[in-house]
Amino acid sequence: MLDAEVLHAFSSAVGAANVVSDPVRLRSYECDGLTGFKQVPSLVLLPLDTASVAAAVTVCHRYGIPFVARGAGTGLSGGALPVADGVVISLQRLREVVEVDPVDRIAVVQPGVTNLDITKATAQYGLYYAPDPSSQQVCTIGGNVAENSGGAHCLKYGFTTNHVLSMTVVLPDGEVVTLGGDTGEQLGPDLRGVFIGSEGTLGIACDITVRLLTVPETVRTLLADFPSVTAAGEVVSDIIAAGIVPAAVEMMDNLAIEAAEKAVGAGYTLTTPAALVVELDGPAAECGNQFEQVKAICDRHGCTRLHIAKDAGERAKIWQGRKAAFAAVGRISPDYIVQDGVVPRTRLAEVLGRIEAMGNAAGLRVANVFHAGDGNLHPLVLFDADAGESERAENLSKDITELCVELGGSLSGEHGIGTDKACSMPRMFGEDDLAVMDRVRAGFDADKLSNPGKLLPTPRLCGEKPGRYRPHPLEEAGVIERL
Amino acid sequence: MTGTEAMTVAPTDLRTAREALADTTGTVEVRGAGTATSWAGAQEPADIVLDTGKLTGVLAYNPADMTVAVRAGTPLLELQAELAEQGQRVAFDPARVASGATVGGLVATADSGPLALAHGSMRDLVIGATVVLADGTVARTGGHVIKNVAGYDLAKLLHGSYGCFGLLAEIVLRLHPVAAATATVRLDCGLNTAAEHARTVLASAFEPVALEWAEGILLTRVEGTEAGCETRAGRLAELLGGSVLPEQEALAAWKRHAALVDEAVVRIGCRPSRLPGILAASGGTAVAGLGTGIGTTAVPPEAVGAVHDAVTAVGGTSVTRRRSRSPGRAWGQRPSALRTLRDLRAALDPGGRLCRGRFDNWFTDEQSAPEFTEEATS
Repeated sequence: MLDAEVLHAFSSAVGAANVVSDPVRLRSYECDGLTGFKQVPSLVLLPLDTASVAAAVTVCHRYGIPFVARGAGTGLSGGALPVADGVVISLQRLREVVEVDPVDRIAVVQPGVTNLDITKATAQYGLYYAPDPSSQQVCTIGGNVAENSGGAHCLKYGFTTNHVLSMTVVLPDGEVVTLGGDTGEQLGPDLRGVFIGSEGTLGIACDITVRLLTVPETVRTLLADFPSVTAAGEVVSDIIAAGIVPAAVEMMDNLAIEAAEKAVGAGYTLTTPAALVVELDGPAAECGNQFEQVKAICDRHGCTRLHIAKDAGERAKIWQGRKAAFAAVGRISPDYIVQDGVVPRTRLAEVLGRIEAMGNAAGLRVANVFHAGDGNLHPLVLFDADAGESERAENLSKDITELCVELGGSLSGEHGIGTDKACSMPRMFGEDDLAVMDRVRAGFDADKLSNPGKLLPTPRLCGEKPGRYRPHPLEEAGVIERL
Repeated sequence: MTGTEAMTVAPTDLRTAREALADTTGTVEVRGAGTATSWAGAQEPADIVLDTGKLTGVLAYNPADMTVAVRAGTPLLELQAELAEQGQRVAFDPARVASGATVGGLVATADSGPLALAHGSMRDLVIGATVVLADGTVARTGGHVIKNVAGYDLAKLLHGSYGCFGLLAEIVLRLHPVAAATATVRLDCGLNTAAEHARTVLASAFEPVALEWAEGILLTRVEGTEAGCETRAGRLAELLGGSVLPEQEALAAWKRHAALVDEAVVRIGCRPSRLPGILAASGGTAVAGLGTGIGTTAVPPEAVGAVHDAVTAVGGTSVTRRRSRSPGRAWGQRPSALRTLRDLRAALDPGGRLCRGRFDNWFTDEQSAPEFTEEATS
């Protein structure tokens, strides 16, 4: 519990009306999209501007109180999980598009602005913001910065780090600085690049300057069915080998298709073992030419049905199915875990085969829907908690991510390490690697107050199993407490 | 410093690179091909020169994944030749690549060329790295996949660090296909007219990969399929009132552009709309990236401080690229997160062994660096 002096300090920092201490309201902040981990914070602060964010963080620094920044709470790795005896600094009221400069093709936005709202605010100038997480209607740019978010179109256009030019950042001691600059030009070491994707452990991004792209002349989208996941994977390799960089290449297996089709009715083929969504964009002539090449490659690999979106409406429908796939899985399974790992593109067929075998061995179904162009998998482990399958599902989910590392990939492509996978970090990095990351952390946050316990493994809790929260044996024994 | 001759060590692989730092004491200068020696602050005389000239070679090239891992001392020109055999490239073209600049040096100095308009700088292309810290600690960051958010991106921290945070020993890069065709449109015009045209081009669907003005000429390059390039370049030339250059003339035009950048004294980054004014005021021979906001200018030594001040006044960044013997500031505005930079340096290189002097007086222990003199700041 926070004492009266601290409470008073927080009230002074953000205004008494912007402090949440009611236990019922506090519960709304107990987790993010990863609901298996829960922790009610001591206090939630709702600052209205950068100055009050800085004032709140200054109070945290003065009294040694851990803080967790939170946007829309859509994260899937427990990155915004509160800390016991800590505060949540919610950025939901910082929602202003501060500036759109169509000449220099940049926008300055506050962290609580949703990803899609940036594009909406700039569309009148023929511009858009490229990174597009599936949750773009609700996730915020502040969260995108924290997680270095990607999306279907990042194969061609890059990730958040390639599109954020600068940020006003509140450092963990309350100092307000600017990281980055007005262009991609770099002045000294790239602190902007280290901060993006640091999962809230290095401070809080406030005003964020993003670069905007010109809306392409043409967009062509096709949905192609294949007799096997392997055949679909070969199509992806051949498209890339032909020197074509598609705007997006997404793959769904039969289970994912079944779920998406039940939810959205996007026109997917229920019986097909695999489907690809391929999108090309750019100048009309080249786009048309490459689109023909893609169709020929699909045919060569035994495509059983090729559906080309005739207009923007049909294209939107295809994407609606793909983007709804995660949630739609709830229609075919009582419970599921969304996993996020990456393998080199050439290992896709191998990893999918091994995931299937692992699923069979565990007696659980795994649906796959993923960004095939960049090897970013999203296996959805389906289970029934009431049937006692939770632990098996969690173990399978963890084993799948660690398999990605074994095949030369990464523990996470876009959801982050957060609370969920911190304990798997030693699978990917050696002790020295992690120790150096810790030294970098210390350079920003010597007291480790900014989102502690995330991203880097916390040794004293790594005895517990990843997955849904259950008390560590030492917690139950009262020896340790959960950070 | 010591006043004695520096000892040179030339590691050939990660193990010997680690030993070069772990088994030695004293200050260290990291030296690659030496193409950026005159950039930024002057390296103080060091006890040890760590020469990356033998730290070369491709470690792993996966054409199907479009990734390559190389030792950092590998000249980019050599790497590009090897990748070209598979129809691939590092989509990156700074002027000094032709002089033998190394992959590590290009990352450490945050350089970029005209292609930055479409592909960014090395920070946007590096997907993994192995670095050796001043105490010999070896740390790996990133990996061989383009999408990766596991852990801190240390490669970014090393990008633009001029060797101060650690030695880049191995680097993993994402690759792009070599375009089937390119075409360049030339328009002779002044800088302000060029800037207006640049806005039109950027607002259109022509998707230029380079858009540069130099010495009264605006060059716009497109890449793509043969037919597509021809069509787009033709339409662009029509729109601008310029002409599509024959291949040899286009090559010569870009070579001339690179030569001007090589001769520049100050490199500038600011909002693209502010660049023409800054360059015009500098009074020097200028090259302007009208889409990127990155420009260079060749001015006399005594004018460098004024250029820095003017750029700082419009919120831009600037760095000296051709230091003269006369003292002057190497950097324009100081980053507002200077304290964090100092703390990071203290965390990664507590003894301040590496590349002293490169950041002028940013790091307090180097205020007596020989090239530094206090000048008025805006």
